[in-house]
Amino acid sequence: MEYFFLLLFTGLAAVLVGAGLLTSYLVAPHRPNPLKNSPYECGEPTIGQSWVQFNVGYYLFGLLFLVFDVEAAFLYPWAVVFRQVGLTGLIEMGLFLLVLIVGLVYAWRKGALEWV
Amino acid sequence: MTLLDLVALLPLIILTAAATGIVLLMAVCRCHRTTALFSMAGLGLAVISLPFANSMAPNRAVTPLLMLDTYSFFYMGVMFVSSFVIAALAYAYFEKQDGRREEFYVLLLTATLGAAFLSASSHFVSLFMGLETLSISLYAMVAYTRDRRDSVEAAFKYLVLAAASAAFMVFGMALVYAEAGTMEFAKIAAARGALEQGNHLVLLAGCAMMVVGIGFKLALVPFHLWTPDVYEGAPAPVTAFVATVSKGGMFALLLRYFVLIDVHQYPSLMFLFTAIAVLSMFFGNLLALLQDNIKRILAYSSIANLGYVMIAFLASGHMAVPAGALYIAAYFITTLGAMGVISVMSTKERDADSFADYRGLFWRAPWIAAVFTAMLLSLAGIPLTAGFIGKFYVLAAGEESSRWIGIAALVVSSSIGLYYYLRIVLTMCESAEDEAPVSRPSWTEATVLTGLAAALLFVGVYPGPLIHAAETLVASIL
Repeated sequence: MEYFFLLLFTGLAAVLVGAGLLTSYLVAPHRPNPLKNSPYECGEPTIGQSWVQFNVGYYLFGLLFLVFDVEAAFLYPWAVVFRQVGLTGLIEMGLFLLVLIVGLVYAWRKGALEWV
Repeated sequence: MTLLDLVALLPLIILTAAATGIVLLMAVCRCHRTTALFSMAGLGLAVISLPFANSMAPNRAVTPLLMLDTYSFFYMGVMFVSSFVIAALAYAYFEKQDGRREEFYVLLLTATLGAAFLSASSHFVSLFMGLETLSISLYAMVAYTRDRRDSVEAAFKYLVLAAASAAFMVFGMALVYAEAGTMEFAKIAAARGALEQGNHLVLLAGCAMMVVGIGFKLALVPFHLWTPDVYEGAPAPVTAFVATVSKGGMFALLLRYFVLIDVHQYPSLMFLFTAIAVLSMFFGNLLALLQDNIKRILAYSSIANLGYVMIAFLASGHMAVPAGALYIAAYFITTLGAMGVISVMSTKERDADSFADYRGLFWRAPWIAAVFTAMLLSLAGIPLTAGFIGKFYVLAAGEESSRWIGIAALVVSSSIGLYYYLRIVLTMCESAEDEAPVSRPSWTEATVLTGLAAALLFVGVYPGPLIHAAETLVASIL
C-alpha cells in the first residue's frame, strides 16, 4: 500500500509533463524558418575549427578558485555552530585555513596568479 | 580530543606538518637537496615518534575513525622507513634530471600519509579518505616524468582503473552499511550476529565488491591488468612506492577489516580469496616468464608475491597476523632493493629496464650486481635472505590451518618463478666487453643499497627481533 502513492506520484508527474507539452503543441503558432531552426547560443555553428588550444591559465584559475570555494563551503557551517564547537573548533578551522593559505602562497610564488 | 589522542596521532601530525612545510619551503627557496632532506627529516621524526606514541597512548581509538594500536604502528613504521628510503632514491634519481623536482616530495609525503591512514582506519569513512589521499598523490607521482610518453600513459591508465575500482569499493561499502547499519568495522561483526541465519547475501555482496577495490590496490589477479604498464612507465622510485607502501597500507587494512568481521565464517568469501590467491601466484609467475623487461618481470613477481601473502591472510588463528606482517616487511626490503638497483642504473633519458642494461654487470659493477642478485634470490625465497623467512612463516601459517590448496600452489608456482629470477642473474654474469661502464653510484645511492642489502641478510640470518615484533601485533588486533 505504501508504494501506491509512489505509483500515483509517478503517474501524476507523467500526466503533468505530457499535458504541458500537448497544450503548447496545440496552442502555439507554427511558423518555422531556417534561422529559427538553427541551434541556440551554446550550440552555434563555430567560426573555424573548434580544435584550438585553450589557455592553460583558465585551468589554473579554476584550481585556485576551488581553494576559496571549498574554504567558503566549510566556513559557513562552522560559523553557524561557532559557539558550540568553541575553542577546539576555532583551532581546527585555523589549521584548515593555514593549509589552504600555504597552498595559495605556493601558487602565488610559482606565478600562477599572473595572467599570461 | 584529549592530549593522549594527540600523542597517538603524533606520527600522522608530523607527516602532515612536513608535507605542508615543504610547500612553504618551495615558496621560499627552490633547492632540491634541502627539500629532500626536509622530507627525510619529517619521515625520520615520524618513525621516532612511533615508539613514543605506542608507549604513551597504547591501543587508542581516536574518534570512531582511527584505531591507533600496535598493529597500525608496526605497519606505519615499515611504510615510513620505506618512504624514507624512496625519498633518498628519488633524490639521487631526480638529481640526474632537469625540471621541477621539489614537488615530488610533497606528493611522496601525502601518499605515505594516505597509506598510514589506511593501516589505522577502523571505519569506512577513514578507509575511503586514506585510499583517495594515497591514490590522488600516486596519479601525479606516476606521471612525474611528464616528458616521457610511457609515464603519462601509465598515469592515465592508473587514474581510470583506480577510479573505477574505487567506485566498486564505495558501492560495496554502501551495501554493507545497508545491511549492518554501521560503518565501524568492529560493529559490523556484531550487527551481523543480529541478522537471522541465511540472510547474509547483501553483506556478502558488499564484501565481494570491496574485494575489487582492495584487490586492485594489491594488484591481485584478476584486478592486476594495470600493474605491468604502471611499473614500466613510472619512474623507478615511484615504482618502488607503488610496489611497497601503497600495497602495505592496503594489506594492513584488508587483514584488519576481514579479521574483525570474522571472514572465516563465510565459506563463499574464503573460496573467493583462495581463488584470488592461487590465480595470482600462477598468473604472476607464468606471465613473468614471457617478459623481456625487468620492470615488467618485477611487476608480475609482485603479483605472485601478494598471492603468497594472501595465504597468510587466509590462515585463521594467531599465525595470520604475524605471518602477514613478517612477509610484508621482508617483501618491502627486497622490493626496495630491486627497484633501488633499477633506479641507480637509470640515466637521464630512460630507466634501466631492459636486459641489455644488465648484461655483464658483474664485471662492470660487481657491487651493484651482487646487491641485485641478493634481492632477486630473496624474491625467489632462497634461504639466508629475508624473503625465505617471510615465505617460511606464510607456509607455517597456512599449514597450521590446513590451507593445502594455497600451499601446493605456492610451492609449484614459486619453483616456476625461480626460472625468471635466475635468468636476470645469468644475464648479469654474461661477459660483455662492448657495454659502456656504469657511472659510479652517488654517495646516497651507495648507502641506500648497502643498507638494504645488510637489512636483507640480517633479517634472513637473525630474524628473531622482527619475528618477536610481529608476534606482539596479534594481541592488539584480536
